[in-house]
Amino acid sequence: MDNDDVLRITDLTRRFGKVVANNEVSLRVRPGEIVGLLGHNGAGKTTLVSQITGLLKPDAGDIQVGKIDAVRDPRAARRHVAVQPQEQAPIDGLTPRTAMEVAGRIRGLSVAKARATAIELAEELDIGPWLDQRALPEGGGLSGGIRRLTGFAMAIAAPTPLLILDEPTNDIDASRRRLLWQALRRRGDQGIGVLLVTHNVAEAERVVDELVIMDHGQVVATGTPAQLTGAQHTEMRLELQLPSLGGESFLKDMSFPTMRQVHSGRRRLITIAEDSAAEAIRWATAQRTTGNIEGFSLAPVTLEDSYLSLVSPTEAQNSTNTESRKNPQEFADV
Amino acid sequence: MSNAALATRSHTAITPVPASLGAGFRALLRWSLAATGAMLPLIIVIQALLAAGIILGFGLLIPNITAENALFLSSGAPTILLLTIGLAIVPQGVSSARASGAFDYQRALPVPRTMLLVVDLVVWTMIAIPGVAVGLLIAWLRFDLNFAFNWPLLIFASLLVTIAGTSVGYAIAVSMRPMLAQLISQVLVFVVLLFSPIAFPASQLPFWFQKLHEVLPIQPAADLMRAGIASDSYSFNGRDLIVLIIWTVLGLVITSRALVRRK
Repeated sequence: MDNDDVLRITDLTRRFGKVVANNEVSLRVRPGEIVGLLGHNGAGKTTLVSQITGLLKPDAGDIQVGKIDAVRDPRAARRHVAVQPQEQAPIDGLTPRTAMEVAGRIRGLSVAKARATAIELAEELDIGPWLDQRALPEGGGLSGGIRRLTGFAMAIAAPTPLLILDEPTNDIDASRRRLLWQALRRRGDQGIGVLLVTHNVAEAERVVDELVIMDHGQVVATGTPAQLTGAQHTEMRLELQLPSLGGESFLKDMSFPTMRQVHSGRRRLITIAEDSAAEAIRWATAQRTTGNIEGFSLAPVTLEDSYLSLVSPTEAQNSTNTESRKNPQEFADV
Repeated sequence: MSNAALATRSHTAITPVPASLGAGFRALLRWSLAATGAMLPLIIVIQALLAAGIILGFGLLIPNITAENALFLSSGAPTILLLTIGLAIVPQGVSSARASGAFDYQRALPVPRTMLLVVDLVVWTMIAIPGVAVGLLIAWLRFDLNFAFNWPLLIFASLLVTIAGTSVGYAIAVSMRPMLAQLISQVLVFVVLLFSPIAFPASQLPFWFQKLHEVLPIQPAADLMRAGIASDSYSFNGRDLIVLIIWTVLGLVITSRALVRRK
């Protein structure tokens, strides 16, 4: 294990009553690395972040932020971490310019440097037109997207070894989302370690170096997007559109081996080996002719497919009721 | 990124530069003033209306009001205004900050958490203090009284009463669920306004209630303020000061613990 990790979490456990929100979670973030923390609502992501920032105390396990023991000395750890929480940053009464300057000053920038940084960040994120527009209570003055970008800019106003972002692109339009990801990648290239908490798999895939997937308080998979996508894209995804729910008995008679199946409404996502592709197309074409399916597509598996197979009920695990795997821990994300 | 790829990329270690206490305080003050200071004009209007309500309203309840009663009523009005800010408006602001996540956002910043409390005390004091002038102005307009100000005492009492009220209000807001805190703060306004010996003498209250008020901070606050406003007619005793200071310290300790504590 490297000694220069900006974040190293080992066997972290936190309970709320009988609910285990984090169950022996371990992960690491190295300098310059963007680590995506993926999971459904209630997977335990926010509980994890709250322990890193000293809002919650772990029941067991270690959190090292750089060389600091964040469990013993949360105040010292906070100097090394900047956070953009899932909630909007509290900037009512402030303009984006003032908010960025204040954030920079709190993190040790000089007055002149904080002013210059605010202007640079406004250009980088294209929020110049709103720079001097005041955020008003009840969501007035500035849109949710500009508030979110301002919150992001506040988190990166001064470089910190570790940056934690919780769903940073919520409310943001497509073009500025791209600017945000580019800005984040640049921070990574400067050596900042980033923990990116999200449930947006498609976006995370493009920006992260490593992924940690959590489900029901536990880490269920770690690896690069390519590793998690499965055998370096040698797997394929057969997607079937069913005419209605029920009447899926024909799925038992597939003439080729399958690796996993995932329910998604009237869609069935079936992972197969690349060399089964030709046979799968023949089989699916025949099923469409007989009316068992309305249509199908075949494509390389995506990260989202792998993610869903890790955190959702699969055909093998649960063939009758996709709702039955709901767990009380879904309510533990406090 | 693979281990090999990371190994080939060299990064300069990023060392955070801690802000000095002064710079951190000024930045937080600027933030808090912008957020809360926007309410200042509205709060002055509310204080003026409340003062008018106390002085004119209580005046109507007492027919042929004597100069002595008018002075008692008028010298109590600023205390009601200061305690209303501390016990009602501060808890509501803190409760809504807790509910919106703003409270935890600031607790995650690299500043001492007790500094967040100090900044809020400064800002709320700046917002509350004009209430003393507003209350006395309305009393003077209504009754044409001559106050005998003991300026050092009045300034000291105004600051102490504001900090005491704000500390207790803050403590209520951080130690109870937001809904309960808001409910209690609203009940406290009624207690201060109608059931406390601020606008009327303590002798009007039942004996047990008089005894209770000796250990609550409300009457000591009113006595201290009165001695600063009409120093030729009223005085305060050391017990008032001690009770107020005990409540202030209690509020500050509870609040600091809640700010620092990890759940």
